Amino acid sequence: MAKKKWISCLLIICTCIVTAGCWDMRELQDRNFVLAVAIDKADEVKEVETFVQPHGTKRYRVSLQILKFASGGEQREETNTFIKSNTGESIFEMVRDMLGQNSKSLWFEHIQVIVISDAVLKEVGLSEILDFFKRDAEMRSRIKIYVTSGKAQSIIEFTPPSKEPGGVYLANIIRLHNKNIHVAGARTDLGYTIQYFDNNSNVLLPRIEMADKVVKLSGSAVFKKDKFIGYADEYAVAGLKIMLGTEKSAVVTMDSPKTPGHQVIFELFRHDTRLTPHVEKGVIYYTVDITMYGNIGELQGDISLNDTLDPEYLRILEVAFAEEIKRNIYYAEKVFKKDMKVDPVSSFASKLKAHEPNTWEQVQDQWDELYPTIPLYVSVNVSIRNIGSHK
Amino acid sequence: MANLEAKTSMSAFQLAIVLFVTCIGAQIMLTPRALIEQAKNGSWISVIIGGVLFYIATYLMLRLGKKYPDETIVEYAPRIFGRLGGIFVIIWFNLVFFLQVVTIFSGTGKIITFYMFDRTPPEVVILALLVLCTYCALQDWGTILRIHQFLFVIAYSILLIVWLTSILNFRPENLLPLWPVDVKGVVAGGISTWGMYGGYECVLLLLPLVYRKVSLSKLAKEVGLAFIGATVLFMIIIVVIIGVLTVEDAKNLPFPALIVIRSVELPGTFIERLENYLLVTWIPVVFDTLAAMMFFMAQICMRQWRHADHRPALLLLVPIIYVGSVLIDNPQIYDQMGKLTMWVGLVFSFGVVPMALLLSWWQKGKVGKDCG
Repeated sequence: MAKKKWISCLLIICTCIVTAGCWDMRELQDRNFVLAVAIDKADEVKEVETFVQPHGTKRYRVSLQILKFASGGEQREETNTFIKSNTGESIFEMVRDMLGQNSKSLWFEHIQVIVISDAVLKEVGLSEILDFFKRDAEMRSRIKIYVTSGKAQSIIEFTPPSKEPGGVYLANIIRLHNKNIHVAGARTDLGYTIQYFDNNSNVLLPRIEMADKVVKLSGSAVFKKDKFIGYADEYAVAGLKIMLGTEKSAVVTMDSPKTPGHQVIFELFRHDTRLTPHVEKGVIYYTVDITMYGNIGELQGDISLNDTLDPEYLRILEVAFAEEIKRNIYYAEKVFKKDMKVDPVSSFASKLKAHEPNTWEQVQDQWDELYPTIPLYVSVNVSIRNIGSHK
Repeated sequence: MANLEAKTSMSAFQLAIVLFVTCIGAQIMLTPRALIEQAKNGSWISVIIGGVLFYIATYLMLRLGKKYPDETIVEYAPRIFGRLGGIFVIIWFNLVFFLQVVTIFSGTGKIITFYMFDRTPPEVVILALLVLCTYCALQDWGTILRIHQFLFVIAYSILLIVWLTSILNFRPENLLPLWPVDVKGVVAGGISTWGMYGGYECVLLLLPLVYRKVSLSKLAKEVGLAFIGATVLFMIIIVVIIGVLTVEDAKNLPFPALIVIRSVELPGTFIERLENYLLVTWIPVVFDTLAAMMFFMAQICMRQWRHADHRPALLLLVPIIYVGSVLIDNPQIYDQMGKLTMWVGLVFSFGVVPMALLLSWWQKGKVGKDCG
């Protein structure tokens, strides 16, 4: 009996040792936190930082922005991140080879942003570049993805004036897209981008540029499926956001009707936007019905002529703003539908699929050819609720 | 003080809880992808079809069990099918649980090592969970029932709360069109939801414990409640997965439920990567399913071999379960095992049980005539 007890205790102890959970123990200070990744075309290949590749060529340069941990009492340094870089073709291979440049393992669970140079995207599809990030379990779904026409590495080398880590700063810029109508930031992170690929949809990603010491997000990079086709300017992006109803707050500018050459600005607070597909006798068309509520945000001009306390003048402004918004939407339609021939984020296709599935079944294979011919009818109502603290 | 260990009876409501807890297990993580690939936007209809179908199967089992109120299927199967036929049916019945158990252990080990402990071998995770489930299954039914009741209240409510944070990314438009274009896929999907509902076969073992005075209609009602609860929970999971990810995206993800919860970002906080929290709340759900099924397997062996206790049989089964789980080491084998388990279960529910009912009616009718 005593022997059985001893054997049982031994068995339990052995099981506990094996299953104690220390296998995956890694201390926080033994990790390098990667905050941002930049992907460029490989220009200059430095032999020391790269490796002998069994397959492929030195196609890309991958740069990682890594958080610098400073211990207490040390002099406050200029930057709190450092950059490591490598060249190759497989991003996973380059990342693993970069361990040869680091004393700690690279940890991607805090990665904030991926910046991709359009020079890379002109040669290869976006889904190919993002495959490593979509497959690895460490990656966050909410990683922001930006496209730049310049060098992506310069963007992640940028030191924010606020002294916060660069990757965090870059990721936080897009969080303000709700108020900035020039940036299409809704559903542009890694998780949603992968969703677009899986749904065979077109993709829209924010454009980021750097000049001197200024980094700015505005406009969008447009992808047909995963092929980069060009950039949409801020006015087109604004029209698109209004059309799809993704703006939470926006600023609409126009010339003052009473004092041309001077601007009057409408600040949007709330809207009700409906983009609806219709099919009548085999003919497909879309309607956009928008109702906007907001304030006068700014008025440059003689306020005696632009009397915002006059209800009739406000009515004139409402009609004028509605026309300006229509103009904006039709401009966006021209840029995306006529010039680029792209259904942005396949929003029109998804509406047709959701509301008219039988029609979608018939046209889905020819959608890319059919879409540029489908008319869009816009109706806008603007209601000015307030003129501000002063007339 | 009441002896919680010995349990010679339980109420119909307790049976319903056991059914609910045994049905809902690891499959809420492991099966959505296959169902969505098959039924697409009609997956929610497939879940309802499955609920109705397997409730019918359970009702047939209740009817069969009611004919032999003090016996389990291990005792009356030989009388219905003959000695050899009875042994075959009992082995098949045990196989239904065994295949589910090894598939669940293997799938659970895979998920936990991929999303939580990437350097831990899956065999270690399986071993740890197996030890825990074995310890629970070694207890008497009274203790296991109390654990089920406790986890029914605690684990499932926390799991639901964590899961419902994914409402933040839910887009109703992704569910459209609600009415599916491919009806065949929806019906086939309904049948394949056996993987989600599997475990209801336990009524064939537990019916003798249910108070003899409970009528069939009351039993059917309580069991129906269990199925309604399970169906609602599965529907919530499937609808949220499609609403967050879309059908096309969910089809390409091995574990879409985890990706849904991974994309949640709680507004105004730094909290994200909730898949770890979901996994932590999911593990007790898996544990109670596995412990129950291991107990049932041991009970079947105990009754078949006419032992007084189920513990030796359970300890004999443990290494077999471990080896079986560890042998499923790649996605192709896992897929094949899943299909095999489903067909073994379906044929048992819709082949063996109805045949047993028919044979028992025929035998009782024959006895009646002979007596007359």
